Amino acid sequence: MAATLSFFSRRRLLNFGLLLAAIGAFWALDTGYAQGIRSTAWLTGTVLFGTCLGLALFNARKKLPFIPLLRAATWTQVHIYAGWFAVAVFLFHTGLRWPNGRFETALYIVFSAVALSGVAGLIISRIYPSRLRLYGENLIYERIPALRQQLQADVEQIIWKSVNETKSFTLARFYETKLKAYFSNHQNTFSHLICSEEPVNDLTEELNQLQRYMVVSERVFLAEVIACVKAKDNLDLQATCQGVLKYWLFIHIPLTFSLLLMGLLHGLMAMAFN
Amino acid sequence: MSESSATISRPQRWDVPFDGQMGAEAVARILTIAPFSQIDPSRFPASTSLPDILLNDTGLRSFKKTQVVVREGDYGNSAFFIIKGSVRVALGKDAIPAELLGRRQPEKKDFLSTLRQLWGNARYPEVRSLSRYKAAKSGAAEPKEDTTAIFLHDIPSVLKGGTAVLTAGMFFGEIAALSRTPRTATIFAEEDCELLEIRWQGLRELRLRAPEIKQFIDTNYRKYSLENHLRETKYFKDLSPEELKAVANQTRFETYGSFDWHSNYKKNRDVAPEERLKEEPLIAEEGQYANGLVLIRAGFARMSQKYNQGERTASYLSRGQMFGFDEIAHNWKTKDSVSLQYTLRALGYVDVLVVPTSVVEQYILPKIPAASFPAAVVGQRKQVSDRRDGELSTDVVEFLVDNRFINGRATMVMDLDRCTRCDDCIRACASAHDNNPRFVRHGHQIGRYMIANACMHCLDPVCMIGCPTGAIHRNALGGQVVINDTTCIGCSTCANSCPYNNIQMVEIRNELGDYILDQESRPVTKAAKCDLCVEQVTGPACINACPHDALTRVDMQDTQTFAKWLQR
Repeated sequence: MAATLSFFSRRRLLNFGLLLAAIGAFWALDTGYAQGIRSTAWLTGTVLFGTCLGLALFNARKKLPFIPLLRAATWTQVHIYAGWFAVAVFLFHTGLRWPNGRFETALYIVFSAVALSGVAGLIISRIYPSRLRLYGENLIYERIPALRQQLQADVEQIIWKSVNETKSFTLARFYETKLKAYFSNHQNTFSHLICSEEPVNDLTEELNQLQRYMVVSERVFLAEVIACVKAKDNLDLQATCQGVLKYWLFIHIPLTFSLLLMGLLHGLMAMAFN
Repeated sequence: MSESSATISRPQRWDVPFDGQMGAEAVARILTIAPFSQIDPSRFPASTSLPDILLNDTGLRSFKKTQVVVREGDYGNSAFFIIKGSVRVALGKDAIPAELLGRRQPEKKDFLSTLRQLWGNARYPEVRSLSRYKAAKSGAAEPKEDTTAIFLHDIPSVLKGGTAVLTAGMFFGEIAALSRTPRTATIFAEEDCELLEIRWQGLRELRLRAPEIKQFIDTNYRKYSLENHLRETKYFKDLSPEELKAVANQTRFETYGSFDWHSNYKKNRDVAPEERLKEEPLIAEEGQYANGLVLIRAGFARMSQKYNQGERTASYLSRGQMFGFDEIAHNWKTKDSVSLQYTLRALGYVDVLVVPTSVVEQYILPKIPAASFPAAVVGQRKQVSDRRDGELSTDVVEFLVDNRFINGRATMVMDLDRCTRCDDCIRACASAHDNNPRFVRHGHQIGRYMIANACMHCLDPVCMIGCPTGAIHRNALGGQVVINDTTCIGCSTCANSCPYNNIQMVEIRNELGDYILDQESRPVTKAAKCDLCVEQVTGPACINACPHDALTRVDMQDTQTFAKWLQR
């Protein structure tokens, strides 16, 4: 069976097995500690803080690409599975109970937010790349605003040409009332986030409905405008998905630093008052 | 002029001569030696006169007895002319054990220099130190690659194969220099000798303007490349020297396509597939009798098979591969008369050796053990579409061939279904190159894979063809195509020649961020491209930095590894 599995599947299986083994070993250690009538909070807390610190080092590794510290892809794998391990240790540490103090509650929430943002990041990094590829042309994020401006200029050119050649204003009026805003700004962020094509389909349908009010020669320009609408939708999708892929770390990383700081304070307080 | 001043004189071809020690006296002496004495100087334009070429593109070298002059496997950017003494060529592959050749490890940044990149990178793009250019101009030549003298001891016991002696008045090393390929043999001094080393830009001028030199070099090129190639080819290795000579005598040397294929390729890139096929010179056609074994000596060839109204590309062949052997072997063994199963076309420029079928039947086939014979051609032959694990699919092969990505030795391939567009690869590249990214995360796509605009360190680097100073060259040890920024004059020839648009011309600045201008206040430009992080201890920073296993560098000659990566 192993021969038929892809490299990624084999790696996933191996890493998952190692994770289960690590959690099992930690559970055994934790149980041993508990039987020795010692507080397991110190053990779980220290391991949890150490794991979080190790996880945070991934960001530092990214800043040192020219130093031989294993490949970033290896770090990502360690980061993902050590992250799951940290969640398990967190559950051991909290004993599945909601904390009673304000600071602990805040710490609990911050840890959960870090973990959830990490999981969200993992999910989007597995879903969005293929969506970006399949939906339309692969674009460089920084070039999208310029491309958007260019596209708007192109559409306006088409509209002008249409008016000049057909002397019909159907397309021009629709552009003024609806399309101008569509081409001027980023649109349909939420729909792109949830991978819905409904808004662009609705708009295309609306444009198609205009055909009955057009002179025949104007329909050629309509087809060009529809192509531009689809191109703009791709720009918006690329901007949305690439933006999320880039900026989710701006939530995950600051939360991680807050967590480390709060975790350290929590540990110091725990040691001081126990 | 202070260091911060942003004006320099516009770089010229011979600002940094090949060897700062050459003088008028040495040039005059060389001009008395044949064949240089026979060259008509009036054939050279005033801007690149014969004495100027000798002064700036050559250097005198002295070698002691048994000292290694060139090493097999090293990339050479120069040829040698024997002025005095003689040298000995160690014939055959690995004729001298590699450990005796004193090959250095590639030079990498030390730990401190590596760390210094954390804070020492420039604040502005494309910053250069003016003092380096000025030092080079004033004659303080940059250290040459690998100048350590290596001597061979106890030669009879270290030599595995035969040898040949080259004496005064002969050239050597021109094959590697002109064809941008590794040296095919190790050559050491037979006695104390004096050689004239000619960098290939000078050799190219001599070849272009002096028919005596051209004829001499071309004859040598054909003779030695043919024998060397046969000696290295599977099935020919076991031939005795006499048999090899007999085979060589009957082998034809053929050339298809044009040496500077990149200009044609650029023109035909967007034409329909059938039109493109018509443009590719035919070497052998499917359905015809296999009247010779075709050995690819240099360049690339497309192997295709008829499919409906078109042709489907089965594979691409490059140096060291052969075509037609299966059919010839099958016919000889079974007394059948099967015709060629594929068509072979030149992709750009191809040098081939054609060994007549009768010669293969006489010398080669009787020596092959029955178990080593290829499978029967008819009936059991694999069709182009029947791909197995570890093989590239037809659409990928077509894509690689049509776009000439087959030329890449370190092609950057990205899996767009795994790439999160985080740009960590770009940032890592910039960190490793003084804050200047050396590739663009954009390029041709096939399905989920993209070939990014990053230098592929080609097997046939056509970017090197027109470089007037030799600034763009192969690293002698690893073969990476790198640019010597000091000797680059910013002429853009390499950037225009690169068929893949992977070389950028950049306007350079000083440490203060001011553009460096020439005397006429025009910005000074330099060519810039990926150097495969040749100095970094980690190797290519882009691969190391990718957190999602989305990026790799692929040698397109190793299709199995590539196929495995695609099928992960």
